[in-house]
Amino acid sequence: MSYAQRGRLGRMLLYIPLVGLALIALFPLYWVFVTSLQLPSYQNEEMESPVSYVESVPPKLYPYGITEYWSQWDKKRDAEKLGDEQAASFHAEKMQEVVAKTFTTYSYLFKSTDVLKWLWNTTYIAILGTFGTVLFDTMAGYVLAKKQFPGRMLVFWLIIATMMIPDQVTLVPSFMIVRLLDLFDTHWAVILPGLAGAFGVFLMRQFMIAVPSELLEAAKIDGAGEWRTFRTIVIPMAAPAMAALGIFSFVGLWNSFLWPIIVINDSKMLTLTAGLKTLQDANLSSFKLLMTGAAVAAVPIMIYFLLFQRYFVKGLTVGGVKE
Amino acid sequence: MKMWKWSKLSTALLGVALFVSACGGGDNNDPAAGKSSSTNEPGATEKAWTGEIVVWDGPRWSDDKENKYHWIENKKAEFEKLHPGVTIKIVQTPWAEMEDKLNVSIAGGAWPDLVYNVSNRMASIKNIESGIVEPIDEFYTADELADFYPNALKEYEYEGKHYGVPVSTRVHSLLLNLEIFKQKGVEPPVDGKWTYDEFLEKMKQLTGGGVHGFSTYIMPSYYEAWPFLMMDGGRPLSDDLTQYTFDSPEAISGLQKFLDLKFVHEVALPDMGMSNVGDTYQAFAAQDKRLMAVQPWNSWAIASSQKEPYAMDLMVAEYPTGDSGKSISMGDVLGWVMLKQKDEGKKQMAMEFVKFLTTTEEIFITAKNYGVFPSRISSGEQRPFEANPQMERAQQIAENAMMVPRHTNWQKIDEAIQKELQLAVNGTKTAEQALKDARSQVESLLK
Amino acid sequence: MKTEMTAQEAGGRISSPASWLKTWKKIGPAYLFLLPKLLLFGLFTVLPVGWTFLLSFQEYEIFDSHWIGLRNYAEAFRNEIFTGALWNTFRYTIVTVPLSILTALIIASLVFPLGHRSQTFFRASFYLPVVTSTVIVAMVWRWIFNYRFGLLNHVVGIFGMQPVDWLGQTDLALWSLMLMNVLIPPGSGILLYLAAMGSVNPSLFEAARIDGASAFQIWRKITVPLLKPTTFYLLILSMIGAFQVFTEIVMMTGGGPGNATETVVHVIYKTGFRDFEYGMASAQSVILFIIIMFIAVFQYKMLGDEGVERHKKRRNK
Repeated sequence: MSYAQRGRLGRMLLYIPLVGLALIALFPLYWVFVTSLQLPSYQNEEMESPVSYVESVPPKLYPYGITEYWSQWDKKRDAEKLGDEQAASFHAEKMQEVVAKTFTTYSYLFKSTDVLKWLWNTTYIAILGTFGTVLFDTMAGYVLAKKQFPGRMLVFWLIIATMMIPDQVTLVPSFMIVRLLDLFDTHWAVILPGLAGAFGVFLMRQFMIAVPSELLEAAKIDGAGEWRTFRTIVIPMAAPAMAALGIFSFVGLWNSFLWPIIVINDSKMLTLTAGLKTLQDANLSSFKLLMTGAAVAAVPIMIYFLLFQRYFVKGLTVGGVKE
Repeated sequence: MKMWKWSKLSTALLGVALFVSACGGGDNNDPAAGKSSSTNEPGATEKAWTGEIVVWDGPRWSDDKENKYHWIENKKAEFEKLHPGVTIKIVQTPWAEMEDKLNVSIAGGAWPDLVYNVSNRMASIKNIESGIVEPIDEFYTADELADFYPNALKEYEYEGKHYGVPVSTRVHSLLLNLEIFKQKGVEPPVDGKWTYDEFLEKMKQLTGGGVHGFSTYIMPSYYEAWPFLMMDGGRPLSDDLTQYTFDSPEAISGLQKFLDLKFVHEVALPDMGMSNVGDTYQAFAAQDKRLMAVQPWNSWAIASSQKEPYAMDLMVAEYPTGDSGKSISMGDVLGWVMLKQKDEGKKQMAMEFVKFLTTTEEIFITAKNYGVFPSRISSGEQRPFEANPQMERAQQIAENAMMVPRHTNWQKIDEAIQKELQLAVNGTKTAEQALKDARSQVESLLK
Repeated sequence: MKTEMTAQEAGGRISSPASWLKTWKKIGPAYLFLLPKLLLFGLFTVLPVGWTFLLSFQEYEIFDSHWIGLRNYAEAFRNEIFTGALWNTFRYTIVTVPLSILTALIIASLVFPLGHRSQTFFRASFYLPVVTSTVIVAMVWRWIFNYRFGLLNHVVGIFGMQPVDWLGQTDLALWSLMLMNVLIPPGSGILLYLAAMGSVNPSLFEAARIDGASAFQIWRKITVPLLKPTTFYLLILSMIGAFQVFTEIVMMTGGGPGNATETVVHVIYKTGFRDFEYGMASAQSVILFIIIMFIAVFQYKMLGDEGVERHKKRRNK
C-alpha cells in the first residue's frame, strides 16, 4: 500500500499536518539544546546593564550568541578598515567572551565534574541492561505466546499484575533485597533490577502472538531444535519488536535517576542523570546548567536510537520474505 | 481442572516464600548500618574509636575549581588528620532527592550517621518519637548551647532534649525591586517598616503599565504568604498545639487583607496563588521581565538576586504590620542531625565531627558564603554580612522570626491548611469558608 | 479458553516415566526459556510487590511494625483526599488513554505507507522527544500554560478572550493536565505500532487490494485487527501509566488548587515518603492495583488473544 496513486495534492495534505505535529513534538528537545547554548548575563557596549537570554519568556528560538558574535565580528572588521586597533581588539575580546559564555556550562561540566565518568557508567549499565532485557524478554515472551505448558497464564497475569503496583512503594523492599544480596553501592544494584521489569516480556508476548504459528511449525518439521528455531526463525521475525524494546529499555535505564541515587553512595559510581542532580543548587537551579545536563544526556540516546533505526526496516523485509 | 490445581499450588508456594522473605526483610532493621568496623566496647572511652562515619551533604557554594563540595571535603581531610583511623565518607546527595533517599534508607535499615537536615523534616517530632534521631545533649554543656539563638535551638528541641545542631536560619522577608520604585516615583518604606495601609497605598501606586505591586504562591510547606494571615494576630494553632485557631476573626481578617490585594485592589497578579517557585522568581528577577515590585521570598533569594545574572537593585523590607502592630515573619532552621547509633564510641566520634563542622568560625563561613543566617550568636556578632546592609536587615528579621509549629502531624496539618488557602486565593471560597473548612481536617490531626 | 485446554492436555499426560520424558521434551524447553527472566523477575519484582501486599495489613513503624488486619483499607476508603484522588485519576485515565492510543494509531497508519526515508524521519521525530525527561517537558508546558507569557493565553488573546488561569482554577486544572497529556504526541505508541505494522505480511494487503477493497477498508478490516495485540499492550501500559500519573502532578500543580489535581500515586507518595506511613501507602497501592487489574481483565476479555485467534481462524478458512 502506498500513496503514490493518490496524487500530489493528497500527499501534501497528509505531509503538512504530519510535519506540523512532528515539529511540535520536537520542540522541547530543540529548546533544551538552544537553552544549553543560550547567552547568559552578557553586556555589550550598547547595553546599560547585562542581559541574560537564558530565561527569557517566550523562549528565544536560537542561541543569541550567534547574533552577537556576528555583530561583534562586523564591528571588528569596520574598526580594522578604519585602522582603529584598540577598537578592533576590543571587539575581538567581545567575540571571545560570547563564545566562552555560550559554552560556559559545557566547559564546567566537562572540566570540573565527573561527567565523563558518569557517562561511561551509564553507557555500560544501559548496554548490559538492555542486552539482557531484550534477550531474556524475547525468550520469555516467545514461550508465553507460542508454547503450551502448565502455568502459562499464571505467569502471564503475574507479569501484568506486578506492573500495577506503583514503583514508589516497591522502592523500600527493592532496597532491602539489594542490601541482602550485598549489591549496595555497586552497579549490579542498578543493572539487575533493570533486568527484572515486566513490561518487556509483555511487549514481546503481545508481538509474538501476532506472528503466524504455521511458520514455527514448519521449522519444527524441518527438525530444528528449540534453540535453533528461536535463533533462526523467532529472532529475525521479532526484530522490529526487539528493536523497540531495546530502545525503551535503554531510554529507561538511561533516564532513571532516583533509584541510582538511592543505591549508590560513591559519587564516582553514579549514573549520568543521577550525577547531574548532585550539581544542582538547593533553591534555584541554574536553567542553563539544567538544560546542558539534559542535552549531554540526550545526545547518546539519540545516537543510539538512530543506530537502532535500521532494525525496524530489517524486521520488515525478513518477515516478508519468509512467508 | 489440572491447570487450576497447578496454579493454586504455585500461588500457595509463592505466598509462603513471600511471607518468609518479607518477615525476614521487614525486621532487618540493623541500626549500625554503616560499614563500621568498631573495635571497642561501649564505655571504653580511653581508646579512641576508629572506623568509618557516613555523612550525607548536598552541593553548597563553589570554590575556584567550581567544586560545590569543597567545604565539607576540606573539613573531612582536616578531621581525619586529627583523628587517625577515622575515615569520613561523604555521600554527595542532591538536595531535591535527599529526603527520598533518606526515607528509603531508613525504612530499608541502612541509614547514614550524619545528615544535613533540609527544611527540618529529619528532626520532626515523628522521627524523634520513633527513635531514629539521636539527642545531642550529653555532648554539649549549657554554656555551649547558650551560644545558639533561642529560636533556632527551639526548632530541635523535644521534651527538654535537643535532636540536632542548628547551623543556619532561613527567613521570609519582602524583597523590593527598587528600579520599579524609582520609575514610578514611589518611596520605599523607611527602614523597611510599614503598616498594611501604607503597604497597600504603595502597591496601588506601583501597579499599572504591565507592572503589578505584589504576588506570591501558596503551596504546602511554603510560608511566604502566612505572615499576612498572622498580622492581625491570627495563629494557626494554639500555643500548646492542641487547638486549631486559624479560623479566628483575626486570622480571617488577615487572610481577607491578603485576598483583597488580588480581588479588590487588583494590585496582585490575577494568577496569584498557583504558580511555583521557579516561575514566580523568574517573573520577579529575570532581566527581561521584572514586572513585580514586591515579593516575599525566603532568604536565599536575596543573595541570588543581588548576584549575576540578575544583579538587581533591591531592598529587604519587613512584612507590613496589621492590627497586632507587630511585623511577623516565619522561618526554619537547618542543621546537622545524627541518626540512631549502636556504638557509643562511634556516636562520640560522629558528634566530634559535628562539633568540628559547627564552630563559630565554620558557621560564620557558611553564613557568609551561602547567604543563610547564622545559628550561633558568636557567629552573628562577627557580622558575616557587614558589607551587605540588605542581608543584615534580613538577619535581624531572622533573629526574631517565628518558627513553623512543631507538631507530630504538622506536614499533614500544613497541607490541609494550604490547600484551603489555595481555594481562597483562586476565588473558589471566601476567607472565612476556607479557614473554617480546614478546621475539621486539622482537628482530626491534632488528636 | 482454547489455550487453556491445550495446557491441560500437556499437563494431563503425567502417568508413566516414558510419558514423563515425552512431556518434558514438549514443555521442558519452555521452562528453560522462561527461567532467566523468572529468576530476576521473581527476585526484584515479585518479592517487592509481595512485600507491599503484606505491608498493607500492617501499621508501619521504623522499629515496631505490627499487623492490623484490614484497618489500613478501611481508613483509606474513609480518607476523602484518597477517594477524591481516585476519582480524579479515573477521570484522567478515561479521557487521556483512548485519545492517546487513537492518536498513536492514526499517526502510525499515516506514516507507515510513506517511503522509507519519510518513515525514518517521522519515526525519529515522534520518538526522540520521549528521551527528554518528563521534568523538562513539564517545564515547557508550564510556559505554555503561563498566565502572562504563555502560548495558550496568547492564542486565547488572538480570539479576543480574557486570559485564563489554566492551572489555577479549581474546575479547570485537571482538564489542563489532560489537555497537556493529549497534545504531547505518544512517541512510544507510534514507534510500537510502526514496528507491529512492519511485521504484517504485505501480501495480505495485496490480496485485499486485488479483491477491490478501498484503502480505508483495508485499514479497518485488516490492519487494525492485526494490530490488536499491540493495541492491547498499549492499552494496558497507557492505562497503568495514566493511573500512576505522578511526575506531571509534582511538576505542574502539586495536586492543587485544593485537591483538584490530586492523584492516587501522588497521595501514595506523600503517605509513604513524607508521612512515613508505608503500611497505609501499601494499602492504597493495593486498592489501585485491584482497580487497574479489574479493568485489565475486562480489556483482555474484549481485546485479548481470543480476538486474534478468532480472526486468524476466519482468515484461514
